[in-house]
Amino acid sequence: MLKLDKVCRKLGSFRLADITLDIPAGTYYVLLGRSGAGKTQLLELIAGLTRTDSGAIWLDGVNITQESIQKRRIGLVFQDYAIFPNMSVFANIAYSLTSGRYDRTAVKERVISVARELNIMHLLDRDTRHLSGGEKQRVALARTLITSPKLLLLDEPMSSVDASLKDDIRRLLRRLNRQGLTIIHVTHDYREAVSLASRVGVMHNGKIIQEGTPDKVFRKPVNRFVARYAGIRNFFRVRFTENNGEYLAVSSKNITFSLSEDSFPDEGMIILRSDDIEISTVSPPAVKKNAFRGIVTEILPTESGYELTVDAGEVFYVDISADMYKNHPVTEQSEVWLNFAAEALVVLQGTG
Amino acid sequence: MKRTGTFNLLLLLLSSLVLLFLVAPLLGMFISTNAGDFFATAAEEEVRQSIWLTVWVAFVSTLLFALAAVPFAWILARKEFPMKSVVQGIIDLPVVLPHTAAGIALLGFISRDGFLGKIASFAGLNLVNNPAGIALAMAFVSLPFLINSARDGFAAVPERLEKAALNLGAGRGRVFFTISLPLAWRSIITGFVMMFARGMSEFGAVVIIAYHPMIAPVLIYDRFSSFGLKHARPTAVLFIIVALAVFTVLRLISDRKPTGIKTEEDAEA
Repeated sequence: MLKLDKVCRKLGSFRLADITLDIPAGTYYVLLGRSGAGKTQLLELIAGLTRTDSGAIWLDGVNITQESIQKRRIGLVFQDYAIFPNMSVFANIAYSLTSGRYDRTAVKERVISVARELNIMHLLDRDTRHLSGGEKQRVALARTLITSPKLLLLDEPMSSVDASLKDDIRRLLRRLNRQGLTIIHVTHDYREAVSLASRVGVMHNGKIIQEGTPDKVFRKPVNRFVARYAGIRNFFRVRFTENNGEYLAVSSKNITFSLSEDSFPDEGMIILRSDDIEISTVSPPAVKKNAFRGIVTEILPTESGYELTVDAGEVFYVDISADMYKNHPVTEQSEVWLNFAAEALVVLQGTG
Repeated sequence: MKRTGTFNLLLLLLSSLVLLFLVAPLLGMFISTNAGDFFATAAEEEVRQSIWLTVWVAFVSTLLFALAAVPFAWILARKEFPMKSVVQGIIDLPVVLPHTAAGIALLGFISRDGFLGKIASFAGLNLVNNPAGIALAMAFVSLPFLINSARDGFAAVPERLEKAALNLGAGRGRVFFTISLPLAWRSIITGFVMMFARGMSEFGAVVIIAYHPMIAPVLIYDRFSSFGLKHARPTAVLFIIVALAVFTVLRLISDRKPTGIKTEEDAEA
């Protein structure tokens, strides 16, 4: 479907460097990165709004690196939707059809068809300056989808939408993807990637630093940056060692973790997802590995429950559900036991 | 509290002085002109023709130069190129030049020996003492007002709107006429009005290029130098009233909604 081969582009002091991607047809690809990482610039390169300095872009086996933007058939929905304020919703959606190639009836039929699909029939005669964020987004999507793009590029599509509408948008994007549309979705929010992506790429300083399925990227981040992006807050700098066939990691504060991995450098970093830690107010059996006693130092409410900060020699961040919190009420200064499986500890490569 | 009051009073006093300085001479001229002289002047064929010549030549000059100046303003707003700051400086040059000097420079260019004059003479046209020459002199001193205002207008149009239109398959020309131009319209009209106004009121450059046919500012000067202040005053008052009426109409047009929202029918057309 879309292939990028060592694409480079210098923009002032910023540089997109050696971007190589292979996105099969029907993929929902989420490109994650902080603002300034180069995500939007990459989308504009793919769409043809800017040209590459070197490298090649292929779409369906055709080299489109030098192809004009108008002929690429790649739809781009901008972050703020770029709705034309001097036109009605209908005229916005019909914009690509109104250069004389289609007769009035055909234009009207196609606009109505796409407006029905996106549930914006009631907006067609509206002035675009009075639309809400969610409405603008649907209009922008309709305006792009009417061109029957081979590939849809979305730049931060959730950023200007109320939280209550995000589920609707997610459902809509999933539906479009299921209908066979290949989508590249740029965001800084890893939760969007988890909920939508079939593949994820993480971008940092103009480079794609990790790519793969969401499970692989979020379970096995290649470095601390990706791990932080995946919402992981438990990082421990450790020395690795082996004792009677058991693989261990000893932190700088002498906490010893038991590992399931047998491939690691002498020193490095391990990570642990907050929701992989079990918390209990009673002591686990003495033989249990990766069990630590600690004191709760802070309790903060989160979207789905609570985040507890526990000092067990090292500081651990633990996510627990609201139900769990109700069943095991703890307060700040409570004594608790933390326990997790050896498989939950991930050795970050490249941090030795 | 007291200090703020004193400061505000000082601001009010200074502002009033500035306003008075601007209004007093005009008001004085209006008051000193008696109605009989005014209507007699308004009835004079020479005066009417002169004012009409001033208005239409300034308007046509602005319109014709706008055809090239507006796209040029878009380039200045959107494109980076070598020596851009020098080009910007050249555009502003007529504003700082003494207008008689601008007239002298232009005369060298459009007289029969000048580059443009020679080309015009092939077409049997003598630009000196001709409305075409007057139009060039007006444009020379007033173009910066249109170019700068239109450039600011284009710069204020979000570039991503143009990018979105390109992404929807529109060519550069269609993007310019359907997105950039309608959205920068208000600034372009403001610039147009400013250029037109500046062109209409031009004296220094025009008097060098064409004493005859007389535009209104030249006629006012001619009457002043030949017959004195009393005789020149009613012509000046009449010209100011006409100019104010024209600008009011143009302002009313420019204050209307830029292009109107396109309707379903427009989109289908």
